[in-house]
Amino acid sequence: MLMEVKNQINVTLKSIKYSIMKEMLNKGTFLMNIFFMILNDASFIIQWIIIYNIKEDVGGYTFNQVLLLWGIAAGIFGVSRFLFKNAFHLSDFITNGKLDSYLVQPKNVLLAVISSSSDSSALGDIFYGYILVFLSGFTVIKFLLFTLFMITGAIIVTDIAIILGSLSFWINRSDILADTGNGLMTNFATYPDGIFKGSARAMLYSIIPVGVTVYMPVQVLTSFNYSMFFIINVITLILTFFTFFIFYKGLRKYSSSNLMFSKI
Amino acid sequence: MRKYTVIYMANLMSNLQYMANIIINSLGFIVHIFIFFHVWNYIYENPAELIYGFSKTQMVWYVTITEIIFCSVAGRRMVRTICNEVRSGNVAYNINKPYSYVGYIMFSNLGEVTIRLVFYVMIGLGLGITFLGSIPTITIIEGIVIAISWILSIIINMLFLTFIGLLAFIMEDSNPMYWLYSKMQLIFGIVFPLEFFPTAIQPIIKISPIFVTSYGPAKLFIDFNWRFAIIVILAQIAYLLISLGLCKLMYMKGVKKLNVNGG
Amino acid sequence: MEKNNVIEVENLKKNFIVKQKEKGFKGSLKSIFKPKLKVVKAVNNISFNVEEGEMLAFIGPNGAGKSTTIKMLTGILYPDSGRIKVLNIDPTKQRKKLAYKIGTVFGQKEQLWMHLTPYDNFKFFGAIYDLSKEETEKRIEEINSLFDLSKFINTPVRNLSLGQRILCEIAASLIHKPRILFLDEPTIGLDPVVKESIRKLIKKMNKEYKTTIFLTSHDISDIEKLCKRVIIVNNGKIVLDDQLINLKKQEGTLEEIISKIYKGEKTK
Repeated sequence: MLMEVKNQINVTLKSIKYSIMKEMLNKGTFLMNIFFMILNDASFIIQWIIIYNIKEDVGGYTFNQVLLLWGIAAGIFGVSRFLFKNAFHLSDFITNGKLDSYLVQPKNVLLAVISSSSDSSALGDIFYGYILVFLSGFTVIKFLLFTLFMITGAIIVTDIAIILGSLSFWINRSDILADTGNGLMTNFATYPDGIFKGSARAMLYSIIPVGVTVYMPVQVLTSFNYSMFFIINVITLILTFFTFFIFYKGLRKYSSSNLMFSKI
Repeated sequence: MRKYTVIYMANLMSNLQYMANIIINSLGFIVHIFIFFHVWNYIYENPAELIYGFSKTQMVWYVTITEIIFCSVAGRRMVRTICNEVRSGNVAYNINKPYSYVGYIMFSNLGEVTIRLVFYVMIGLGLGITFLGSIPTITIIEGIVIAISWILSIIINMLFLTFIGLLAFIMEDSNPMYWLYSKMQLIFGIVFPLEFFPTAIQPIIKISPIFVTSYGPAKLFIDFNWRFAIIVILAQIAYLLISLGLCKLMYMKGVKKLNVNGG
Repeated sequence: MEKNNVIEVENLKKNFIVKQKEKGFKGSLKSIFKPKLKVVKAVNNISFNVEEGEMLAFIGPNGAGKSTTIKMLTGILYPDSGRIKVLNIDPTKQRKKLAYKIGTVFGQKEQLWMHLTPYDNFKFFGAIYDLSKEETEKRIEEINSLFDLSKFINTPVRNLSLGQRILCEIAASLIHKPRILFLDEPTIGLDPVVKESIRKLIKKMNKEYKTTIFLTSHDISDIEKLCKRVIIVNNGKIVLDDQLINLKKQEGTLEEIISKIYKGEKTK
C-alpha cells in the first residue's frame, strides 16, 4: 500500500516535470508568457488605486488587504494551472476519448490526466502573488501561510474544475458550462467579500467556494485564527475526496468517443 | 452588397443554433454587472452622493452599457481566427474571391454579434431595472441617436480587432497586441468614466479610440445632450474611417508580401 | 493437455445511447428540451475464449463493435452486462492490476510524450509500471536490440516519422513484458516496408515470449501474415470464429471472402 502510494507520487511528479519541460522548449516564449501574465495581473492595481482614492475601505478591506486578496487569488490560479492545467480541459478528454491511453496504465487516471500539461504563463501568476505578499508587508510566518493557502486554494480550484469537467460524462457539450463555472471562481475571487450581502454572500461560501479559497485565507493572514485555519484544510480535504468520487462515478459512463452523436 | 447580406444571414442563422452557448456565456457578463453593482453600492454611502459628478445609478448604468458593447464582440476569438488565417497562409485563398477580405470578416462576424447584442441589451436593461428600479428618461429621437452610437462603436471595435488580427502579416503573433488593446479598453474605458482619472491622462483618453468605443456611447445613455451627441458621432465617423483605412492598408501590405513570397 | 485460456468472454453486451438531432433551428431547440434518444447495440451478446500464445485477428467493418470490445477487455469501457476474464482478472473491477499484465497499442492514439526522446519515454513508462531503474535500463536495452531503435532512440518523438513513432509506441507498450498485447489497427497509415517490419516484430514477440496477440486491422495482409484464427464481428455479433485455413478454403481471395461475410452473404 505504502509502496503503491510512493510509486504513484513518483509517476505524478515525473509527469509534472515533463509537462513543464514541454513549456520550456522555447525559452523566449516561455519568458514572454510569464512577463505578460505579471503585467496582466498588475494592470488591475490601477482599478484599485482609483477605488481607494474614493474611499479608504472597500468591503471592510484596507488597500493592503486587497493586495493580499489579489496575491492569493493570482497564486491559486497560477499553481492550479501550472501543475494541473488539464483539469481545466477535462471535458475535452472525456468527450473526445482521450482518456483511453491513461486508462490502460496501472496508475491513477485522474492524476495522470490533469498533470499531463502545464501552462507557463501561470508561473507569472505565482510570481505576482509573491510580489504582492512582499508589498503588503513581509514576515516569515506570512510567507509560509501564504504558500500553504496558495496550495489549498489551488487544490479546491482544481477540484471544482474536475467536477465541472466530469459533467461531460453525463451531459454532452458541457464544456461551455465548465468554462463559465471556472470563470466565476476567478471573477469573485478578486473582490472583497464585504461588498456582497445576504444570499450572494452565502453563495460565495458554498456553491462558489471563493470564501474558502481566498476570503478566509486573507483573514487568517491578517490576524491568525486557529478555527479558520482548521476549516480551510478540512474543507480542502473533503472536497478532494468528493471530487475523486464524482470522477470515478462518471468514469463508468465513459464512452471513449464511440457513437456520441448522430444526425438524422 | 447582396453577397455581404448573404454572408451575414448565413452567420446569423448558424449562430442561432448555438443559442445555448450564448446563453451560458452571458453568465460571465451578468456576473460582471452584478459585482459592479455591489461595488458601487458599497462605495456610495447615500444614493444622492455624486463622485466626480456621477451618481450611483449612473455608474451602474455606465458599466452595464460599456460591458454590453464590449462583450457583444468575441474579440479574442476574432483576432485568433484572423491571426491563424494569416499565419497559415489561408488568407491567400481569399485574394481571388470576389469580395474584400475585410468585408468578409466584418459581415461573417456581425451575425453572431447581432444575436449577442440583442440578447445582452435585454439582459443589461433587465438587470439595470432590477438593481436600480428605473431607466434614464430618453426621448425616442435621442434613443435612436444612442442606438446609432452603440452600433458605430461596435463596428469600430470590430475593425480595430480585424486590424490587430491582420498585424500578423508583419509580426509573428498578434495575440499579445489584442491583449494590450483589451486591457486598455478595460482599465481606461469600461470600468471608469474618464473623469475618474488624473487630469493629465484625461486628454489622452479623449482622443483615443476608447472615447468612441466605451466612454462616448455610455455617457450618452446616462446623461444625454445634443452637443455631446454630435461630438461623439462625429468622432465615431472619423474613427470608422481611420480603422477601415488601417485595415485596408495592412491588408494591401500583407498581400504584397504574399505575392513576393509566392503566396 | 488442458487448454489455458487467457481471455474468457461470456455474453458481453454494451449499448450506447445516441442523441439524435434534427436539422435547423427548431431541431436544435427541440434537442435541448426533448432530445430524441436511440439505443445502439454496439456489442450484442458476444462470447469467445483466447488461449495463451494465440495470435487472433478480431475484425469487422467500421462500427461493428471491435473497438468497443477491445476497450472493454482492457478496462477502458464498462460493459452493460456479461462476464470478462482477462488473465483471470475482471477488468471492470481490477483495472490497475490487469494493466500491469497487458500491453496496448492504439494506432490512432498516441501514448508517448512528443517532446521527449523514446529513451526518456521508456524510462517514464518504466516508472508507470513500477520497474526499478536497473530493470528499466535492462529492458530498454533488450527492446532496443529487438526493435533496432538505436538510430533514433535519442531523437524527440515529434521529430520521428510515423513509422518510427508507431515502432516506439509498440516498444513502450512492451516495457513491462505484458502477457497479452492488444493492437488496435497498428499499421494504419504506414508504408509497406514499415508494415512488414512491424509484423515481423509482432511475430517475434509471440514466438520468443509466448505473448498472446489480439489484433484488429482493416489490412488483410496483417491478418493473413500474422494470425491463425479469425473472429469476425458485425452489428455487435460474432458472425464467424474459425481458423484462417478453413476460411481460405472458400472461393476467391481472402479479401473477397471477408467482404462477402461483412455484407452478410451466405458462405458455404
